[in-house]
Amino acid sequence: MTSSAFSRWWRNLSDGVISTARGMRITLRTFLRKPVTVQYPDEKPDLGGRYRGIHYLEQDLCIYCDACAKACPVDCIEMDATRHGKELEWHAFTLDYNRCMLCELCVYPCPKDCIHQGEEYALVTEDREDMVRDLLTWKGLTEEQKQKVAEVEALKAQRAAGGGE
Amino acid sequence: MDGNFISHLLSASLPPGFPFWGLALLAAFLGALCVVGFVSILALVSVWLERKIAGHIQARLGPMRTGGWHGWSQTLADAIKLLTKEDVILRGADPVLFRLAPALVMGSALAMFAVLPFAPGVQFADIDLGVYFLLAVASLTTIGVIMAGWGSNNKWSLYGAMREAAQATSYEIPLALSLIPPILHFGTFSLLSATEQQSGWGGMQWYIFSDAFWVAIPSFFLFFTAALAENKRAPFDLPESESELVAGFHTEYSGLRFAFFFLEEYAAMFAASAVATAYWLGGWNFPGMTFLSTGSLWLPILGALAFLLKAMFLVCVMIWIRWTLPRLRIDQVMTLGWKYLTPLALGIMVAAAGWEAWRASL
Repeated sequence: MTSSAFSRWWRNLSDGVISTARGMRITLRTFLRKPVTVQYPDEKPDLGGRYRGIHYLEQDLCIYCDACAKACPVDCIEMDATRHGKELEWHAFTLDYNRCMLCELCVYPCPKDCIHQGEEYALVTEDREDMVRDLLTWKGLTEEQKQKVAEVEALKAQRAAGGGE
Repeated sequence: MDGNFISHLLSASLPPGFPFWGLALLAAFLGALCVVGFVSILALVSVWLERKIAGHIQARLGPMRTGGWHGWSQTLADAIKLLTKEDVILRGADPVLFRLAPALVMGSALAMFAVLPFAPGVQFADIDLGVYFLLAVASLTTIGVIMAGWGSNNKWSLYGAMREAAQATSYEIPLALSLIPPILHFGTFSLLSATEQQSGWGGMQWYIFSDAFWVAIPSFFLFFTAALAENKRAPFDLPESESELVAGFHTEYSGLRFAFFFLEEYAAMFAASAVATAYWLGGWNFPGMTFLSTGSLWLPILGALAFLLKAMFLVCVMIWIRWTLPRLRIDQVMTLGWKYLTPLALGIMVAAAGWEAWRASL
């Protein structure tokens, strides 16, 4: 009885010392390892390239076909443009992030593959109205477009004049 | 006793007719200022170290922003925050005990620094019973903690205080017993004299490397474990145990009074590490010190650096243990104290006494 109690005492003691040493070895190993922390506002985490963040639009490719707006299950895309022959005069292409659930269903139906979801995810505003984002990079007609429209108009006028003879 | 380095400096610069009591008072005042300043800076550094080590042990970075370089001034910002906080005293609290407790705790922690030998010639008081003074003053902290727990009129605080009472009284026995081997080896209670006996060119005179290393090493570990429990450091942080008792004995404290408890913890950690350094790890002695001439100014500077490095290393080990081990249960703490550490300390004491007697008889 006494000898077994004594051996148990020694075993408890050595177990305690050994397990403490083991635990300290583990924490030391972690201590020497590189921390996994990402210093957020200064550096961004690697999102893996397939992240569905805030949309961006390649406006020069877009043909104002409304396919994305029709596909949207929460109806958050609205677009407005005037056609001048083949050229588009953009007025608005808004996406309401109050409603958008970043489901990517607007991206698939696009025939020109011009709407995408990027890696930007921090959409912070003080006002709800600011959550309605305009995806356009420019509004109205560009100089190039104006020139093309003018050329077409001139050609039309020429043809009209020619047809009148 | 012929005064410490401060009174030497003062007596050299004061006019010759200056009365002795004035000199003593001035030296005491300046010494107290030195200790308070040193402890404050020490706590700032140790808390920052604690946070950084805790972070890295958990694969994090710890504070990184405040002050620029690796968040070095995070503790400073926290100190300013604590100083500007409202000082709350509960309606049901004992007005005297509640106010007295942080002062007692802080005072006892500061008094410990009076006998620590920092460097050759840099010690506030070389008392013959230095280490006993240290142990006696350190146990005043316990009384302060019990006063805080009782005076707070809060059951969590009272639980913390009761645990502190049980734990501190239990662990003071192995703490004192594990100091007996070095005391027997050096034949002195004075930390200064023990440190001086460990000087040598290579560090082989340090108690832990001496011919009595086989009692020195276990007694060192015993002392370190008992000091952890005495200072309420994890895994023995039951008086605080923030997951069950909110903050234990200092639950109801805020502002500067809370800061005193916080400061005391780090001061006591350093003091325990300093005693371990002075008795086991050679104090201010460092390898190669004999190559410096005795009057050299480099000796106190490098000596203080060696002492601080050794003591801070032990403080870092305490932090390392805190972030490794989970908190024990109160019955496990008592079992460890009474059934393991105390018999072991007694055994080592007997072994050390036998060894020293045998060595003396040669």
